[in-house]
Amino acid sequence: MPLPLSPQLERARLLTRRHLLQTGGLGLGAMAVQAMLAQEGRAAPKAQENPLAPKPTMIAPRAKRVIYLHMAGSPSQLELFDNKPELQKLHLQDAPQSFLEGKRFAFIKGVPKILAGQFQFAQQGQSGQYISELLPHFAKIVDRACVIRTVHTDQFNHAPAQLFIHTGTPRIGNPSLGAWVTYGLGSVNENLPGFVVLLSGGKTPDSGKSLWGSGFLPSVYQGVQCRTSGDPVLYLGDPAGLDRSVRRRMLDTLAEMNQSEFQKSGDAETITRIAQYELAFRMQISVPEVMDISKEPQHILDLYGAKPGFVSQAESADDPRVLYKGDDPTFANNCLLARRMIENGVRFVQLYDWGWDHHGSSPGESIDETLPIKCQQIDRAIAGLMTDLAQRGLLDETLIVWGGEFGRTPMLQNNVRSEFKKGFVGRDHHPFAFTMWLAGGGIQGGLAYGKTDEFGYYPVEKPVSIRDLQATILHVLGLDPERFHYTYQGLDQRLIGPTDEGRVLNEILT
Amino acid sequence: MKPFQTATILCLSALATAARAAEPVQFARDVLPVLSANCYACHGPDEHERQAKLRLDVEGAAKRAGPNGTPIIPGQPDQSLIITRLTSTDPDVVMPPPSSRRKVDPGQIDAIRRWVAEGAKWQRHWSFDPVRKPAGSLDDQVQVELAKKGLALQEIASPHTLVRRLSIDLIGLPPTPEMADEFARVEFARVESDGAPALANYERLVDALLQKPQFGEHWARLWLDLARYADTKGYEKDLGRTMGPYRDWVVNALNADMPLDQFTQEQLAGDLLSNPTEQQLIATAFHRNTMSNDEGGTDDEEFRVAAVKDRVDTTIQVWMGLTMGCAKCHTHKYDPISHDDYYRFFAIFNQTEDADRYDDAPRLDVLTPEQRSQQLVLQTHVKELEASLRTADEAAARNVTAEDARWKAPRIVEAKSREGATLATTPENSVTVSGKSDAEDAYTVILSPGEGRPTALRLDALPAKLSDGQLGVGRNPTDPNFVVSELTVEWLDGDVVRPLKLANARADFAQEGWPAAAAIDGDLKTGWAVSPQARERHVIVFDFAEPLQFKDDAKLRVTIMQLYGNRLTLAHFRISTSEADPKTLLPTLGSPESRKLRDEVAAAQKALRDFNANVVLLPVMRALPPEKQRVTKIHKRGNFLDPGDPVQPALLSAFGPFPDGESPTRLTVAKWLVNRENSLTPRVWANRIWGRLFGVGIVETEEDFGALGAPPSNPALLDWLAAEYRDGGWSLKKLLKTIVLSEAYRQASETPAALQQADPRNLLASRGARYRLAAEVVRDQALAVSGLLSLKMGGPPVMPPQPAGLWRSTYNGKSWIDADGEDRYRRGLYTYLKRTTPYPSLTMFDAGSGEVCQIRRIRTNTPLQALVTLNDPAYLEAAAAFAKRILTEEKSTEARATRGLRLALIRPLREGEITPLVKLQHEVQKVFEASPDKAAALIKTSRGDPGNLNQAEFAAWIVTANAILNLDEFLTRN
Repeated sequence: MPLPLSPQLERARLLTRRHLLQTGGLGLGAMAVQAMLAQEGRAAPKAQENPLAPKPTMIAPRAKRVIYLHMAGSPSQLELFDNKPELQKLHLQDAPQSFLEGKRFAFIKGVPKILAGQFQFAQQGQSGQYISELLPHFAKIVDRACVIRTVHTDQFNHAPAQLFIHTGTPRIGNPSLGAWVTYGLGSVNENLPGFVVLLSGGKTPDSGKSLWGSGFLPSVYQGVQCRTSGDPVLYLGDPAGLDRSVRRRMLDTLAEMNQSEFQKSGDAETITRIAQYELAFRMQISVPEVMDISKEPQHILDLYGAKPGFVSQAESADDPRVLYKGDDPTFANNCLLARRMIENGVRFVQLYDWGWDHHGSSPGESIDETLPIKCQQIDRAIAGLMTDLAQRGLLDETLIVWGGEFGRTPMLQNNVRSEFKKGFVGRDHHPFAFTMWLAGGGIQGGLAYGKTDEFGYYPVEKPVSIRDLQATILHVLGLDPERFHYTYQGLDQRLIGPTDEGRVLNEILT
Repeated sequence: MKPFQTATILCLSALATAARAAEPVQFARDVLPVLSANCYACHGPDEHERQAKLRLDVEGAAKRAGPNGTPIIPGQPDQSLIITRLTSTDPDVVMPPPSSRRKVDPGQIDAIRRWVAEGAKWQRHWSFDPVRKPAGSLDDQVQVELAKKGLALQEIASPHTLVRRLSIDLIGLPPTPEMADEFARVEFARVESDGAPALANYERLVDALLQKPQFGEHWARLWLDLARYADTKGYEKDLGRTMGPYRDWVVNALNADMPLDQFTQEQLAGDLLSNPTEQQLIATAFHRNTMSNDEGGTDDEEFRVAAVKDRVDTTIQVWMGLTMGCAKCHTHKYDPISHDDYYRFFAIFNQTEDADRYDDAPRLDVLTPEQRSQQLVLQTHVKELEASLRTADEAAARNVTAEDARWKAPRIVEAKSREGATLATTPENSVTVSGKSDAEDAYTVILSPGEGRPTALRLDALPAKLSDGQLGVGRNPTDPNFVVSELTVEWLDGDVVRPLKLANARADFAQEGWPAAAAIDGDLKTGWAVSPQARERHVIVFDFAEPLQFKDDAKLRVTIMQLYGNRLTLAHFRISTSEADPKTLLPTLGSPESRKLRDEVAAAQKALRDFNANVVLLPVMRALPPEKQRVTKIHKRGNFLDPGDPVQPALLSAFGPFPDGESPTRLTVAKWLVNRENSLTPRVWANRIWGRLFGVGIVETEEDFGALGAPPSNPALLDWLAAEYRDGGWSLKKLLKTIVLSEAYRQASETPAALQQADPRNLLASRGARYRLAAEVVRDQALAVSGLLSLKMGGPPVMPPQPAGLWRSTYNGKSWIDADGEDRYRRGLYTYLKRTTPYPSLTMFDAGSGEVCQIRRIRTNTPLQALVTLNDPAYLEAAAAFAKRILTEEKSTEARATRGLRLALIRPLREGEITPLVKLQHEVQKVFEASPDKAAALIKTSRGDPGNLNQAEFAAWIVTANAILNLDEFLTRN
């Protein structure tokens, strides 16, 4: 049973050219196959069932799709969400021993100094939560989000920590969250991939393609990276000089010959292949169309801070960090693309924005200089995305997740002898407490969940593990995190791992 | 309702249903899988999880009376606890408990009841039982199973199909139509003459293919997937790593048909063999394919341990088809591998030198024989020159002593540094500098030369031990040079200070651009310096411009300004004076002879260094020396930071001890894996080979031969093959030959509706196999038929074109540069594999990333694949070359279409088969004639060479060739 479509999507289906292409605009080949199958009284063979077809949920869903905004490198919660006046008092004093005993840090050596929050906080919204001056637009929509200040992980290096959040294990080889969800729910638009990945910040996140891989799931569930320069999907564009009409003509010949082949061999895979070539042909239209933000009205572009066709120099630089500018619209463009994707039935849109690892050790990676720039790049865009989704009635069915892979220490760190120096203010990796927020379908807006101690070092109320977060995301989408599995190597593999640690955070759900 | 029903469970129910028929129930086949899947999590090997002290995985315990009754009483199902609990309707009593969400279906319960009734005969899990070869031939085994379903083998496929099938299966490349025609001609002649040995012609073809060097390249891919081979290190930085020599070793080993036992021993423990050859050491790179993490701030020990665990898991996966992963954290719930077993086995692998180091040490320099002799020549040359230099230096040293006797170092009254460095005098009246080290400095030394008529002054720059332990004349260890910007001398004559003019500066050596004269030219920006000879003694000599006569109390004040910056200041020096005729005072330290030799030694050493820098260094396994062996402790819950009790190295206890008293090593593991008594290795391997040829294994879960894996679709066939392989000297070529000669293999692959019903996935080999080609074969085949394919073997990986901008790894400067010429068209095996960004057009066809051991590739059929073969430059270039070939070889459109289709499909064409292609070519040519610029553009993007061809015609043929290269039959092996 397919998922009911949202009214917006149904309307879009009725009105757009995509719909025509999907149904009325079938290639000669595909139509002939249908006719032939009908003639032979043979149902389309089982083997070719579309693995991406929509599937029923396991429990009642609260959201239908996900936009996951991952800030790769991990932003400082102490400058953005977790206001700690106590740190001001202890600024540049030696950190207490209790911070250090038995701890492993990525870079900190010896006794580090406490670093005060570098930016001002003020209470915002109905909920009166403290939000940093670096996020003025988020401050206005804070009542739509549930901010969790007590997320903790057990990984403190980027690649393993990113893998842990997105695949449930710090090592490579398991399917990513997006792949799991697409496997569990299928996709409602067969002219677009079910799981799309968009990158910004100039670098691929630290653990690379494995973050959107399908692991042991069939490879159809892996994330498809859509690119804003070059072919939006690899090999999507026909070669220069080859018109659509010639391609159509060629595919018709191909289909005709493949049908003869099927009649001889009787192999269902041949029928699937004919269908996949037709789908590829439709994707050649539908993907560039959905990726083209130039037709968006100016007020929508302004809402996000998006600029169609903009190609940032940072995106191809060896060290993009030194080229970051606050008005770089790459991330904003991706947020707008995310809305267009989910509007068109993509199940899971994953954004990675690189450049949030603010150690303070070299130019372009400091809390005092780089963090404000990165915040400018994302703040308007994210608030715009939420507002736009809300005004289209899509926010209630879309789960938004924001966060990094861990947090940052309350202590100063850089490699200039840990001196407090302009342009070199940094913090090390901190796995014990950091902030993420959820919003949209099924999430209670305006909720401040969990509390950290006076230094922001440990959770003191309602700690949330990565497994809890994963369980909650699956639950919101109608997948029972405990039962949702795939049998591999003789075991029922689950996103939340083999143990019973993961717990659905019912308190944050509507 | 459980919406994600697993294939395994479906298979089990199917079997249970089959078991309801007249056949007696078999424990291993019909009962054990049900118990494993539903009961062993709580009543199995893991004592921590065990409920009610009851275990059902061991016969004795399962048949022993307990407090609640006896689980299994042979012959009395209704008195057996297992049956009453399985069938209870009381939710508090029924097993499995409703909370477990497990359910045993009635067919399965019935099978268990019948098994108890029939005497409850216990068997081990099927794959742990010894391999016994059934009587009869391979085909007999297939036919017996087919007959149970009322099926029989299909007819033999056509000769042309067989030739293509064989060629693709054995060497991964298509044959030519001519080869197939010749084979068919002989076949038909044989049938007509009705006398020749039935398979002689076919066997000749098989033998010829097995002898081709491309055989090793094709079958290496299977092995490299298992070996998680890649050309980078993985994780965040994913830097390059040289593994090519190992890949070439695999290709060569397969071509030489190295028996599996040797293949195993050399890869797992080549370094532990006595007097290992270079090749045997290269083989050990197998387990250096583990990833390493160069991310800043990572704990090397954490990732070393991760790599060792990967080796343990991969070894057991690859050879025994068992999953060790679970036992990292707790005792395996289904297979007999305990938590302790895991770490005892881990201990064997925990004794190698590698430790997630940045340079991947230890590494082996891999040289060709020519390189080896070249290196020897260079080494000998260096040694000879060094010997000559020693002789020359000894002679020069005697001169130096004579020269030094003509100088006298006056007593030092005072030595000061302007910047606060500590200047200390030595008994030999030299000055050592230590303490504060500023960018610039000026030393002032007051000397008491005593009565006399000095004519010249000499400054000795003496080597000192620097903070990095090396010798240097300057204080900065990273650049132990100095710059004497200006040297001045004053005569302190009572209260009168008289500056003394110096002349005729000369040094034993001066850096280019920094001559001796610059030390007294009055210009502070110039000076005397000695790079690159900054680690040896140097002298500079000055004449006093005027004759002097000192009394006993005369004092000289020498100021040495060193203003270059970067801490280029003297580390140790001495000032002396002489009364000899200045013309005879030379600054030479060595003879001209030794100076010349010194330069030659330096040049020869540099040549050797440059040579060595280009030598391939391959990461290999090396055992730690006995005194450095690690103590292995259990990692509680798999966490290496939470060590438990120490363990001694041991093999897996459930699979029989190895008759060897000594502490086991990797070599023991290798021998144990291929030991005759090991029931898993031959089954796993035979299954793997069968799976590659038939598209699906006899045990479909190639990765799991344990209790939860799929049972074999034809156990007799599996054992027949396993025994054949093991007893045939572990020869892969022999096993392959046996299989491809069978009738089962040679069947036609057409699938009539009845067969589709009875054996939908061809698990029983009820027909010839038909499946989409592997990623590399898809690529190689297109290049081969178009004539572009290069058959160059081995060497470094290559970079055929890939879309721009894909490589954006963090902190990794390396970039993809599209190869030109031959390397653009090498076999897919040689394509550079970057773990975090594998070659996209191969991964879209299900090739792996080399990050973890890949036991099998799950075939998919997606629109992204269509886009690859339609639009990827590699396929466009193939289409253009293919079009050109067709145009050149034939004259008419019909003949060209025929030629193209035959080159692709090999078989003779059916009536009218070329018609769609001919029509396509004609119509598209008209389109291009109307827009010649588009024709030109297409030819250009596909790198076509139009020569004298009509452009519109050529472009239309490129489109037509592209269609042929996308035909389902072309992409399929049938």
